[in-house]
This record gives sequence, structure tokens and C-alpha cells, in this order.
Amino acid sequence: MEDLWTVAVAVFQLWMFVVVFFITLPAMFGLSLGVTSVYIQILVKLLEWATIRIQRGRQEQPSVPAPLPNGIIERAEGSMEEEMEQLRRSRSLEGGEFALSDALYFCKKGLESIVDDQVTQRFSSEELASWNLLTRTNQNFRYISLRLTIFWGIGVFVRYCVLFPLRIALAIIGLSWLVIGTTLVGFLPENSVKYWLSEVVHLTCYRICARALSATIRYHNKENRPQKGGICVANHTTPIDVVILANDGCYAMVGQIHGGLMGVIQRSMVRSCPHVWFERSEMKDRHAVTSRLRAHVAAKTKLPILIFPEGTCINNTSVMMFKKGSFEIGGTIHPIAIKYDPRFGDAFWNSSKYNMVSYLLRTMTSWAVVVNVWYLPPMTIQDGEDAVQFANRVKSAVACRGGLLDLAWDGSLKRGKVKDAYKEEQQKMYSRVIVRQNGISATHTRRDDQS
Amino acid sequence: MGALQSLPGRPEYSDLAEKTGFSFEQIGVLHKRFKQLSHNEETLRRDHFNEIHDLAFNPIRTQIIEAFFDRRNFHQDGEGKVQEIGFEEFVVVMSHFRPPSVHMTEEQREKTRREKLRFLFNMHDTDNDGTITLEEYRHVVEELLSRSGTLEKETAKCIADAAMLEVASISVGHMEPDEFYEGITFEHFLKLLDGFEIESRMTIRFLNMDTTTLCK
Repeated sequence: MEDLWTVAVAVFQLWMFVVVFFITLPAMFGLSLGVTSVYIQILVKLLEWATIRIQRGRQEQPSVPAPLPNGIIERAEGSMEEEMEQLRRSRSLEGGEFALSDALYFCKKGLESIVDDQVTQRFSSEELASWNLLTRTNQNFRYISLRLTIFWGIGVFVRYCVLFPLRIALAIIGLSWLVIGTTLVGFLPENSVKYWLSEVVHLTCYRICARALSATIRYHNKENRPQKGGICVANHTTPIDVVILANDGCYAMVGQIHGGLMGVIQRSMVRSCPHVWFERSEMKDRHAVTSRLRAHVAAKTKLPILIFPEGTCINNTSVMMFKKGSFEIGGTIHPIAIKYDPRFGDAFWNSSKYNMVSYLLRTMTSWAVVVNVWYLPPMTIQDGEDAVQFANRVKSAVACRGGLLDLAWDGSLKRGKVKDAYKEEQQKMYSRVIVRQNGISATHTRRDDQS
Repeated sequence: MGALQSLPGRPEYSDLAEKTGFSFEQIGVLHKRFKQLSHNEETLRRDHFNEIHDLAFNPIRTQIIEAFFDRRNFHQDGEGKVQEIGFEEFVVVMSHFRPPSVHMTEEQREKTRREKLRFLFNMHDTDNDGTITLEEYRHVVEELLSRSGTLEKETAKCIADAAMLEVASISVGHMEPDEFYEGITFEHFLKLLDGFEIESRMTIRFLNMDTTTLCK
């Protein structure tokens, strides 16, 4: 018994040694031993083989529907006016008349929305075209071959027994380092040494956390990196976005103060470097928020602010409406596009389905996090543009760069319903179709004459 | 879960495929959509439909949603409304919009046509008495036209009355000045829409299921 215990302790010590010296320390200096890139390459080869195997299997045993990227039904591309024209011409109706068959157009459109709509699917995880050997994405794929199952089994073992403890250890080290380091730096007087030290602490901590997720991050267009006094906006998929972006520069975060562990982290972070944390009550007051942010931006020496204008997590297939509040502050906007590779794990945080802890556990037991970050050139509001138009312009740029769909819908629809105002738009359009240039009265008198 | 899943030959699907004429894959796709809309519950309720954002655009969305809860559309000769529906009723209502298959006999084509027209009729006959009265007709016109903007209430009323008069003249022929037109019965409705190609216009086509994309 004693021997077993000493052996276990020795193994643990060896393991911690490996973790600290081969992963944590190089991470803090921004170096890498290259193990992760080899791992990713092996994974890519494995997933490609798995895809081909599954395809072959599917051809032999059909009748399982594959997920389609363009939706599941054919939709007519024409506008309402064109389709109404067609409908009414087949009935030889003239302008100003109404027929029950007009209702058919709306009926059909309604049914189409019920079967397949653009918004609801953005709030659940993206469906993969092929299985990536993770249990959680296995919705449609059945038993295909023994070799595939063996690889899946090895994958489970590697992910849960080898990688997961490693990642947890790194995460704990990283977060404790953040809290301890920032508290220590907070004791220093306000001078340039303090700022430099605080940047070092933040950077090293986030690098360790990135290792904790086996994150492979590729930054593009580094020349467009945000400067001091600017505002960065990015599309939001997960709380991990913060770790991904902060690996390459220091940002001032904006957000609500939480309780518990998050609160401890937030309070210690703000000691060393001016982040902007709001109380819950303050968040409701838009003016208070805007004025605080404006004050922060005006002080040109402060770090660039990081804001996620969508307001909620979207599943990384599209970019939803950017709320105009962030674009009213003034200053230069540095847009950033973030795109996760879904083959290696689902990064989307579905907050209605999983809480933070289970989300982190799921992420830490995926294959890896592979992400592309594009820095876009800075944009400012132009003359004659209001905040909403500017926000849409930035949103299109982000969507275009990241290869995401550009949607005009509001992300807060995740939790709420659509207003009635949208219904009136369609009603107005239809009434314009009926009331033509001839006007209603002409038809009306004709009826009177006949009866 | 895992790489080994149960075989896809679920018996409920084959029953439904028989009854509604959808293919196996299409029913699978619809089932996935049903689960998505109902948040993985067994039944759908009206507020689940209200959460569909694209549907909020639609002026007659209340009627469309009601159509799903209307027993007359379940092909079981029932009447009245229900509060929640299961997957079977969902597919049966959806089957009204199935595209006509090529191998249909004249009789089947006529039957499908009647079913689709019956669906449309039921949607407007809200009080379930078998006729679309002037009130109900006016209601439809008001829903479709704008309440607030380009048309006043009077004009909308005029359009509805004119249309109703037209319908009366087609179905009943010449009416005496003091005769009262009760409403459009289903037979009148059929006559009205005679020659209207409802089979092709009231359909939703599923995209081809066989396309597979390679992992990048």
C-alpha cells in the first residue's frame, strides 16, 4: 500500500513537472514546442479518413438524411409583388380586386417559415456535414465500420483521460496566476512600470488559458491590430472569444460584474488595469454606460475597449444585428472577425442549454479549438451616416471577412419575441398591390352599375 | 449514442409515410424540425409557433397557426380546436402542402385538390359552421391589408364588400334585391376556384436529400 502511494506521488510529481516546464513556461513566453500543431495535423488526417469512410458507408446503406446548408425546402426567389402578379394573372384579376386565393401566397410563406427559418437555427449548434468522431455531434450517423468505432473509442480515451486532466491543471494554474499576479501588480503605484507589468501578467495568463483549451489561433492582418484609445468590435460565439483575442494584445474589457469565481477574477483584474465593469443596475441606464465608455476612450492612453455588439452568443454561422450603442461612443472602430473551425469541437455556448461550467467541461473534452482571427482595417462613422447604418456597415465587413452569413435579425430574439411592427410592413406591401393607379373607386362604381 | 445507433427503420415513420405520402427522409427532416420547434418536448403548442421569427412577418399568421390546431385538418372527421398537437398531427397538416407526385391517377389528383381547397376553406371559416360569412371574409381582407397605413378602414370594407358581391354573383347567379347572401359554402368555394391550379401553387418542395458535402 505504501509503495503504491509513493509511486502515485512520484508519477504525479513527474506529470506536474512536465506540465509546468514543457507547457506553462513556454506558453508564458509565447513559445511553443510544436506538439499541438503535430496533434492538429494528425487529427485532420484522421477526420478526412473518417469522412470518406462514412460517405462510403452511407452510399451502401442510404435513407439517413444529410444536413443541408441551404435549408431543406425550395423557396421562390421573387418578391411579394412578383409572386402576387403571377397568382392573380392566373385568375385574370385586375387591380383593386381581392380574392381568397391571395391569401394563398401568405399561407405558403407561413408554412415555409414553419418548416425552415433563418433565425431559430442560429441559436443551436451548427450541424456538421460529416461526423467528427465526437459523441456529442453524433446525431445522424450510425454504425459504419469497426475501425471507425475503434478510432472513436481511442478518441474518447485520449480526450477524457489524457487531455482533460492536463487542460484542467493548466486552467487552474492560469486563473490563479491571473488573480495573484494582478493583485500583486495592483499594489504598485500608477506608473509605466505598473502598466507594463500588468500587460505581461494578462498576456501570460491568457496564453496559459489558451493552452488549456489546446487552442490553435491564426491571426491575420496583424498590421490592423487595434491601437490605444480605439474600440474593438467582434462577433460573439462564446466567452472564450475573450481568451482568443487577448492572446495577441491587451484589451480593456466591458461587462457586467458577476458573483462567485467570475466576480473574484473581475475584481482582481481591475486592480491592475482599467477594465470597465458595470453593476447590473447601471447596465439598464444606457446614458451612464455610454458616458463611462466615452470617458475611457477619450483618455487616449488607455487600452482599447473590447465590445461584442451582438449582445449574445450566436452559433458562428452568421452575424446578427450589431446594437448601435457601441457605435455611438465615437472614436475609431477596429472590427475583428472570429471564425471557429467546427470540425474540432463546437465552440458555441448555448446558454439556455448549458451553464458555464458544463460548457467549459465540454470544450475541454473536445478535440481542440482551432480559430481564425482577422483584424479588419479601422472604420469611422462617415458624414450623413447614423449609428445604425454605421453598425450595419461594420457588421457586413465582419461577416464578409469571416465567411459568415450577414443577418439583419436581432440576437436578443433568442429570448424574446418579434414585434408586431414587422407584420404591418407586409400588410402595407400587399395593400399597395391591390390599390393600383386606377384606384379603388373606379371598380366600385362599376359594381354599382351592374347590380 | 456513440457510433452504434439503432436501425433507422422506425415503424412510426412507415405508418406516417403511408398516411401522408411523404417519403421516409422527408418525415425524418420534419421530425427534426418538430423537435427543434418544440424544444424537444412531445407536443407543440401555439406559443412554440409564436417563437418563429420569420412567421411574425406574416399578416395571417394567426390563421396559419390555428390551422395546425384545427381538428378538421387532421383527417379524422373531428371538429373544434385542440390546445396542443403531436408529431403525427403536425405531419398530417403539413401533408396538405405536399407536391403532387407524377404517378397520380385522375381520381387521386381530384382528391388532393379537394383536400387542399378544404384546408384553405377551413382556414377562413373560423367559427366552424361550414360557411365563410361576410364577417369572416371582411376579417381576412382586413388582416391582409394594412390597418394603419395606406388604406382606411372604409376602403378596406369596400374592397371586402365588392369581393363578396362578386362571389355571390358567381355562385348564386342573379339575386333579388332583398335576398340575403348567407355566405360561401364549400361547394361555392370549389366553383369559385375552379380552374385555379392549386395543386402546383399550394406546395412546398423539399430539396434533394442525396447531396453530401465532403469535409474540407
